[in-house]
Amino acid sequence: MIIFKRLLLVIPLLFIITLLSFTMMHMAPGDPTTIMMDPKIKAQDMVQFRENLGLNKPIFVQYFLWLKQLSLGNFGYSYLSGKPVLRAILERMPATLILNIVSLALVLLITFPLGLISGAKKDSWFDNVVTFGSFIGLSIPTFWLGLVLILFFSLKLNLFPTSGFMDPSLENAAVFWQIMNVLRHMFLPLVTIMAGSLAGLTRYHRFGVINILSEDYIRAARARGISEKLILYKHAFKNAALPLVTILGLQLPGLIGGSFVIEYIFAWPGMGQLGVAAVFSRDYPILMGTLFFSAVLIILGNMMADVCYKIVDPRI
Amino acid sequence: MRFINIYKGFFVILLCLFVLFSCGKNNSQNINNNFKKIDPRGVLYLNLGAEPTILNPILSIDSASSGVIDLVFSGLMKVDEKLEMVPDLAESYKISQDGKEYVFKLKSNVLWHDGHKFSAEDVIFTFEKILDPTTNTVRRSSYLIDGKPIKFIKIDDLTVKVVLPKPRAPFLVNMGMGILPKHLLEKENINTSAFNRAPIGTGPFKFAVWKSGEYIRVIRNDDYFVKKPLLSEIVLKIIPDKNTALLALEKGEIDASGIPAKDFYKFKARAKNIDIYRYYSLNYTYMGYNLEGQYFKDLRLRQAIALAINKEVLVKAVLKDFGYAAHLPASPVSWAYPAEKEIIKYKYNSKEAKKLLEESGFTFNAKTKFMEKNGRPFEFTLITNKGNKEREKTAEIIQQYLSQVGVKMNIQLLEWSAFIKILNHPRTPKKFDAVLLGWSLSIDPDMYDLWHSSEYPKGFNLGGYIDKRVDKLLEDGRTEISREKRKEIYKELYLRIANDQPYYFLYYPESVVGINKRVKGLSRPGPAGVMMNIENIWVESN
Repeated sequence: MIIFKRLLLVIPLLFIITLLSFTMMHMAPGDPTTIMMDPKIKAQDMVQFRENLGLNKPIFVQYFLWLKQLSLGNFGYSYLSGKPVLRAILERMPATLILNIVSLALVLLITFPLGLISGAKKDSWFDNVVTFGSFIGLSIPTFWLGLVLILFFSLKLNLFPTSGFMDPSLENAAVFWQIMNVLRHMFLPLVTIMAGSLAGLTRYHRFGVINILSEDYIRAARARGISEKLILYKHAFKNAALPLVTILGLQLPGLIGGSFVIEYIFAWPGMGQLGVAAVFSRDYPILMGTLFFSAVLIILGNMMADVCYKIVDPRI
Repeated sequence: MRFINIYKGFFVILLCLFVLFSCGKNNSQNINNNFKKIDPRGVLYLNLGAEPTILNPILSIDSASSGVIDLVFSGLMKVDEKLEMVPDLAESYKISQDGKEYVFKLKSNVLWHDGHKFSAEDVIFTFEKILDPTTNTVRRSSYLIDGKPIKFIKIDDLTVKVVLPKPRAPFLVNMGMGILPKHLLEKENINTSAFNRAPIGTGPFKFAVWKSGEYIRVIRNDDYFVKKPLLSEIVLKIIPDKNTALLALEKGEIDASGIPAKDFYKFKARAKNIDIYRYYSLNYTYMGYNLEGQYFKDLRLRQAIALAINKEVLVKAVLKDFGYAAHLPASPVSWAYPAEKEIIKYKYNSKEAKKLLEESGFTFNAKTKFMEKNGRPFEFTLITNKGNKEREKTAEIIQQYLSQVGVKMNIQLLEWSAFIKILNHPRTPKKFDAVLLGWSLSIDPDMYDLWHSSEYPKGFNLGGYIDKRVDKLLEDGRTEISREKRKEIYKELYLRIANDQPYYFLYYPESVVGINKRVKGLSRPGPAGVMMNIENIWVESN
């Protein structure tokens, strides 16, 4: 019942989000014709171009036209490439999804035990090493790390390609070799992405575990003579896992967001590059398309997190 | 404990995966013998630098798209190594005495990539599409003269007559436009057609695949009307980051890439498999004044600024050894560029600069160290686009030189769209004092769009430079057909503008490209690069 009520709220919420982003986008200086800084292009050509795109109409009229098309399932066409927006987005989705899902899974699998152990053995040499490593990971600029990794692993050791997604020569190869090739291409961007997020999440888990270990019920368990291992893996583990739900909920929209810097350095064909290029060229339909998808996923992610909480934690 | 085991298992899997894909196919190296010859299956790897927007010659505006379009499409005319327009799809052409009629005879052996025969219908269709207002093109004005459209008339299947309302010298440059296949586009909406993502042309290479954000692959057109290209295919990768592209060039993943001046010596010493070529393009960088603004109406102030800056030092600091000082609005690569001795140059002389400032009513305030008039200092803001390191550095050096003569210059860096919006705003006066920008010129010296009074405030006469004599010279220059006479006209024009200083001309940057040694058959380095005749380029078999 509550879920149904919340689902009903989604529609006005989406309406407000899209309306706000549409107006804000149009308030940014310039429009798709401003990138045409070429003396061979005349002012009258730009006027005609704007008219053809319907950019002369009032913003609200433009918004409702967009909304009308959307209700018919049409996300519109990119101003610059004339490509259907949905297609432009779906083309970029796989590369972003594979990189983000793999990195999220690996990050969670690595940070959780690291955080658990560092938290349990607070101030031990292990904890200190992890803390030190985390701060290094957090403070290395991504673009620099990316280039250093390319220089070392790709150029010097010749282990991985510098950039890209898949070798063009494998277009017709067996799927197995294609997957292997994509994985080879993915290794360096993956390491770069993970360097930053590993550090953050390890710190987060560590802190959670420290908090939990000082709770009364842990003390009670200790008083009952339960072994430290059991306390950690049975009692603390479950509760420390709770925030994971929140993180996963928050990560859902991030999964399709894509990281522009990583994609740019490694020429990774993902959503980040699409979105940023659309911002700079004021390609409104593409921008609205990506915004719409993100908004839907943010709302869904939050809802799912709430529902999961109810299942996992009876207190809520 | 179970949990630890899961992790152990997981790391084992990870390790296996790593080992597996580390020994995946490594297809770039395949050493058979040392015999060097043309590889009939040779693939050339280039970098587009950005995702192309649209592969349709009449709609595209970005250089990444042109990089593909130039391989797939041909025009009636093309630019050759000497920067002259020569026939391409045209067999020959004739110009009438009055310069208003052009008759193009078309080549008879041309086929579209789908096997259809190319004819005059396609030519007429292409130009009609450009002139059609519902087409989202910004090329329409190039085919209008004084608002009247140029007429394209089919004489027979292989002859097209073009009638101009008025003679127009740079007209042939516009005939380089890629021709579209009528039979495929007639019934399509040209703005959104799938053709724009999988084009069919008459050029040396056929479009094969476009992997968005990854690469575009084109394959040899065996029926190319000039000759069968030597390469089997070209892969145009999309590597946006310049540093990555440079590493990819060094590693041999791409065969060509631009080299930034700052990396030149380091790169030259390190990359033994790369040949380096240097050439000048048709562009120059300048500082343009808003002549309708509060200060720069006064010629003496503009001249004072020109005298206050040591241009030679500035160019050396910004471009190292890759470029030289500019003194007028044309590129030395152009045939219209005047003889060196005729060029007006402002030599660095800060005393003279101060004198000129004082003559125009400013006095030096020893307390503030600024030139002042009516108690207010000479202060203006120079705007330029964010992210262009060369321009940012140039602005800083100008700032320092000007502060030495008591002029306060502020620098404002703007995001591209916001920047262009200020410049393009059709009002007078525009809201800027001075702008740092560069122009990339056409191969024809016609500069009507940049300097004619009718191009202000709408148009690219950004600073509002209005001079009757310049207007007249611009009009004569584009109507006169004789090259000798045009050269004289443009000489006078350049010198007049150089003397008036509506721009402070800065420099001509040199282009530096690295090409893998395995690539052969390159053209002479020139403004259009070193791969002018792509059909002659080949790679060594290894």
